[in-house]
Amino acid sequence: MHDIPRPHDLLWGMTPVQLPADAPAWARQVLAAGQPVVVRRAVVADDQIAIGLRGATREQRFAARMRRESVVSRVSPEQLIARLPDSRLPALLALHRLHPLLDSLGLAWGVTGSVGYQLGSGIAVVSAESDLDLLLRTPTVFSRDEARELQQLLDRAPCRVDLQLETPSGAIALREWAGDSAHVLLKCATGARLIDDPWDQAERAA
Amino acid sequence: METLSFEFPAGQPARGKALVGVVGSGDLEVLLEPGQAGTLAIQVVTSVNGAEQRWQQLFERMFREQTPPALNIDIHDFGATPGVVRLRLEQGLEEVGHD
Repeated sequence: MHDIPRPHDLLWGMTPVQLPADAPAWARQVLAAGQPVVVRRAVVADDQIAIGLRGATREQRFAARMRRESVVSRVSPEQLIARLPDSRLPALLALHRLHPLLDSLGLAWGVTGSVGYQLGSGIAVVSAESDLDLLLRTPTVFSRDEARELQQLLDRAPCRVDLQLETPSGAIALREWAGDSAHVLLKCATGARLIDDPWDQAERAA
Repeated sequence: METLSFEFPAGQPARGKALVGVVGSGDLEVLLEPGQAGTLAIQVVTSVNGAEQRWQQLFERMFREQTPPALNIDIHDFGATPGVVRLRLEQGLEEVGHD
């Protein structure tokens, strides 16, 4: 496992006193209850980690920073798929069904979003309407043809599946890479930008 | 879910139409079609409630710098950051400009 927390990792150990003064009351409650925070993409000081907090509703999202030294445990999206609970919720059914298919790609993959948060924290945030958010680590080129083939398979799942390709430059949406657009949106620590090829060395350096 | 409508002064109708972006967390889909001369009409369907002012400010900043072509723009937002919204709009405006 990487020593440095990566986007979408769940971290435990942040306390309410680390929140800025303007943080909402629900964010303090989340931390006081011992719930994990989610690593997000942003540039922060070396001794800190950019994180996001999740509350009970979609509007309850708060971006903050956590001190690196206060991390007591960390779970990556890949670790969350080791043991899946029995559930009739479409997002969890989809995860069950896609598991062997994603394993067969031979690349590291994991679950993020509400399903990942629920699997990691035990807090029931997944609803019947929830999408399934996945990430696939693609350190080397994942062609647009491969992307189209994979997207077609994901589209047969019992719920909407959003898969992000984690490239050396940052993350792109599989759905966009599988489409016709010449430029695709790359999400990285310094923000978002439109690029042609996330595996291009020049794009990495940009 | 919330539906918001905005209007801004615009120039002549754009020539082409374009669809940019993707449906997915943190992103948005933007459909741009030629509109009525002088008017830029934007409809936003967003998963994030209570953000009308943020949208208004973002559009104002973008269209103050340069008068946009007359368009009907449909946005489906899935919690994109203002930076991503701006990139997608610029991408769409560039595509309708090329046709």
